[in-house]
Amino acid sequence: MDVEKLEQEAAKALEQAGSLEEIEELRVRFLGRSSELKLALREVRDRESGISLNALRQSLEAAFEQRRSALEQVELQHKLMAERIDVTLPGERFSEGHLHLITQIRREVEDIFLGLGYMIVDGREVETTRYNFDGLNMPPWHPTRSPGHSLFLADQVLLRTETSPSQIRVMEAQKPPVYMISPGRVYRRDTPDATHSPVFHQVEGLAVDRGISLADLKGTLLHLMRALFGEKREVRFRTHFFPFTEPSIEPDVSCHMCDGAGCPVCKHSGWIEMGGSGIVDPNVLEFVGYDPEEVSGFAFGLGLERIALLRHRVPDIRLLWENDLRFSRQF
Amino acid sequence: MKVPFSWLREYAPVEVSPEQLAERLAVTTAEVERVSWRGVVDSGGNFDHFRVGRVLEAEKHPNADRLQLCKVDVGEGEARQIVCGAWNFGAGATVAVGLPGAIVPGGMKLERVKLRGSVSEGMIMSERELELGQDHSGIMLLPGDWEPGALLADHFVLGEAILELDVTGNRPDLLSVYGLAREIAALYKLELAPPPGNDPEQVADEPVQVAVDDFVGCPRYVGRLFRDVKIGHSPPWLKARLSGAGMRPISNVVDVTNYVMLALGNPLHAFDLERLAGGRLIVRRALPGEEMRTLDGIERKLDPRDLVIADAAKPMAIAGIMGGEESEVADTSSSILLESANFEPIGILDSSERLKLRTEGSNRWEKGVDPYLAGQAAQLATELMVQLADARWVGHTDIQGELPARPVVRFRPERADELIGISIPADEQRGLLERFGFDVAKDWTVTVPTFRARDVTREIDLVEEIARVHLDEVPFTLPARRAMWGRLTREQRLRRRIEDALCGMGFVEAYTYSLVASDPDPRAIRLPDPLTAEHALLRTTILGGLIRSLEHNLDAGNEQPALFEIAHVYLPGDEDLPDEPVRIAGLTWGGFARAKGAVETLYRALAAPEPSFESSGQLPFLHPHKVARVGENGWVGELHPELAEGEWGAFELDLADLAEVARDVVVYEDVISFPAVKQDLSFVVAEEVPAGEMIAVAHEAAGADLRGMEVGDVYRGSQLEEGQKSITFAVAFQSPERTLSDAEATSLREKVVHVLAERFGATLRS
Repeated sequence: MDVEKLEQEAAKALEQAGSLEEIEELRVRFLGRSSELKLALREVRDRESGISLNALRQSLEAAFEQRRSALEQVELQHKLMAERIDVTLPGERFSEGHLHLITQIRREVEDIFLGLGYMIVDGREVETTRYNFDGLNMPPWHPTRSPGHSLFLADQVLLRTETSPSQIRVMEAQKPPVYMISPGRVYRRDTPDATHSPVFHQVEGLAVDRGISLADLKGTLLHLMRALFGEKREVRFRTHFFPFTEPSIEPDVSCHMCDGAGCPVCKHSGWIEMGGSGIVDPNVLEFVGYDPEEVSGFAFGLGLERIALLRHRVPDIRLLWENDLRFSRQF
Repeated sequence: MKVPFSWLREYAPVEVSPEQLAERLAVTTAEVERVSWRGVVDSGGNFDHFRVGRVLEAEKHPNADRLQLCKVDVGEGEARQIVCGAWNFGAGATVAVGLPGAIVPGGMKLERVKLRGSVSEGMIMSERELELGQDHSGIMLLPGDWEPGALLADHFVLGEAILELDVTGNRPDLLSVYGLAREIAALYKLELAPPPGNDPEQVADEPVQVAVDDFVGCPRYVGRLFRDVKIGHSPPWLKARLSGAGMRPISNVVDVTNYVMLALGNPLHAFDLERLAGGRLIVRRALPGEEMRTLDGIERKLDPRDLVIADAAKPMAIAGIMGGEESEVADTSSSILLESANFEPIGILDSSERLKLRTEGSNRWEKGVDPYLAGQAAQLATELMVQLADARWVGHTDIQGELPARPVVRFRPERADELIGISIPADEQRGLLERFGFDVAKDWTVTVPTFRARDVTREIDLVEEIARVHLDEVPFTLPARRAMWGRLTREQRLRRRIEDALCGMGFVEAYTYSLVASDPDPRAIRLPDPLTAEHALLRTTILGGLIRSLEHNLDAGNEQPALFEIAHVYLPGDEDLPDEPVRIAGLTWGGFARAKGAVETLYRALAAPEPSFESSGQLPFLHPHKVARVGENGWVGELHPELAEGEWGAFELDLADLAEVARDVVVYEDVISFPAVKQDLSFVVAEEVPAGEMIAVAHEAAGADLRGMEVGDVYRGSQLEEGQKSITFAVAFQSPERTLSDAEATSLREKVVHVLAERFGATLRS
């Protein structure tokens, strides 16, 4: 047989083949069991023609393989092209849950203080006047002791007006040092409006140890405020008065909206009031059996709703209690 | 408290601007809410446009019945023509004139205008227009000896900055201009003027008939008697000060009492002596059933705890709070008994709360006024009575109980350093305390001034004095820790896992009030005096709140709501305080099966074994035949169809229950090395047989190698008899030790088939 002619014939046929089916037909014709080449190979008796026919077979096989793979590529591209989609169509909907904004803020604050080595205490909400007032050095005539300000259940039982009673319970139960925060619900006789709610959330912080100073309080609150409102925030402190701390100071954080230039959020002062704090009054330490000459401490309290209102620009505190999904799903 | 800046500077000549002062005070002393302005704006020579004028002619405007046409000398040689709407003056009156170009309080600029055909070259001003008071019944009449053309600003403070302070309850000493000046002088190291008020000559020595029956309520009473008092207007300078401090000028005598209260912080009261029965006063508690009409015209029932100032017959004033109408100083009064007393704070606070009556006076008394102040206050009042009301001072008495001694405190400057966290030289601390009025002995024994005696009684209170002044210099540090334990408790971690698992299922967290209008548990704690009926009970279940939130969302048209809340409930028990377990409640679209699915998924997420679901009797809010108990205190069910349209699944679980079954550390079980033999087995059973019990019984019979048995399908229909159902279970047999042989699998299957037949009459369908 004419090797050269066969090779040329096959090459030409391959070139014209347009589909994998045609290539398979040609393979049967040129390389199949009863193809001229296979028959010839079977007939081979001498070494020389064997070499030349085998070379032809190899070369044909290579040519077929190359052509098939090229066509396969083309067909794959066609298939993929046919599968093309409008990627701007919406994806399949998963219904995602959301944590309440206050839970998110509570966790944020918890994590900040976990990082500082504090424990977290979940205090009780129905309290005695002993823990809510007496232990906190609130004088008998203090206005929050009156039923006009607080919600009483009995003469000496009320819904706690702040998270501070859990400080007293923790200190009574353990020796110093104490490093704790306590987030939770508190209650006041306030009629609900845009900025008031009879039920709201506070977080209380307390550190009692040897050598705790006002400087430690300032540093801790600076850390907290920057973690909540951004690293660029400044914190200043103003003298204030609370029965359970002495000295008492109030932290202001530089406004996160205007960087202190003045805007409606900070009432054009550049500063936003963030709560109360101070050095734990010696009377409070003595109440729980600590020696104020041995240990000192600081305490602070802030409202979680206030953070939500300020940082997330929630215009009305009642939105946090309505649970409208159009609100909740934003956070 | 509003403090006119110029008044403050009379006592402490501070050189900084009102705004700078406000910033400093905010840090060290008291919050300054704002710096406002009283009166005429002082910029661009505006003060020059306000002059003293003398009316030369005044007659009716030719074209207007209600206007006067005036010629007014304002020191320019030629008189100005001014049209005026007031009629309380005529030719010869001395008046305040605003010239064209003047910006009056409120911002309006005066122009030369034509009024009903006559040119008006200025405006004759009323008290209210100059913000000197409320009087707008006519124009303000000035003393006749004021020279026409002189600047009004040369006679009184035409306009000035006002500091508006919010003083905390521990600093009643700051509730006066002089007290604030004393603080400022200390802060800025200025020389403080001596306290205002020097006694003039007492011209007679009439007896002052005052008795104090209750020295606890009234430790001191200075009474002074004045005769020939001429009631009239106060001069403009005094009106300017009162108005700037936020008080309304009334008459010279009343204004004097208010002025002294503002200047020194000791509220005073003036009685019309002629109207006091017996011409005498007694300080006592009210008698049972006594009543009196206070200055505000209200008839008030008195309580025997209320301290009153009574004449021979009945109460004439509620001590420290408000005077009575009957002995009020009137235009005709000429003999005045002036009270400069001291009252004990708690009693005043209680009375003021009982009577729901708060006044400038009670606000000071209830915080504690220095008992040693009454003498000085009497001196200032007497000086002004003589000066402004031509009064003759004819009598004096000073009745004193036991006045408190000045507290003495041991102070260690190094203690202050420790607590503040900086080092302040000891002599600097000494200087500071001395400037604040403390006497500091060589050995650091500190004697507290009388005006701080309530607030400063301990070393820590002195530390605060140092700290507040140095607050800005205190560095930012963190506590030096020797022990750390920053981690969540197991329950706190669990709570977060639950929150996250429910969020993962698409639930949105809700917060609802713990105070509710009604609760299914009749033992729920009721507030004796709730805020409103809506917030009257402490809830024992969270579900009620979630139902309200669901209603809100349905009204809003929000689709597929699924809500959860984790909160305390309040269960009354034997103790004084209720038990406050934490509960997890959910409410979702999709009925019972969806709620149960959520509970099952939650248990799996906590690596807890599947709980038992036991069909339960009725529970509040729920469909009576679609409810199951879960664990000890939990349940899952479907909302009663009367509560909301559609099918709504609900559950409430107890955190402590979950804590018991949740696994923290899961130990690996080999379910991979040896494959499971999986089969579907269908059984026909009577309708009332619960699938859950069949599964439990099968597990009991087949042992651990029955790896799983789950309901795939429940069929009821024509191929079955009435009252029967077919349940198909997907069953998996698997051993952790070897691949089960066909024979072993068959034997396990037979055990299941046998036990279900025996216990439930179940027949295997082929």
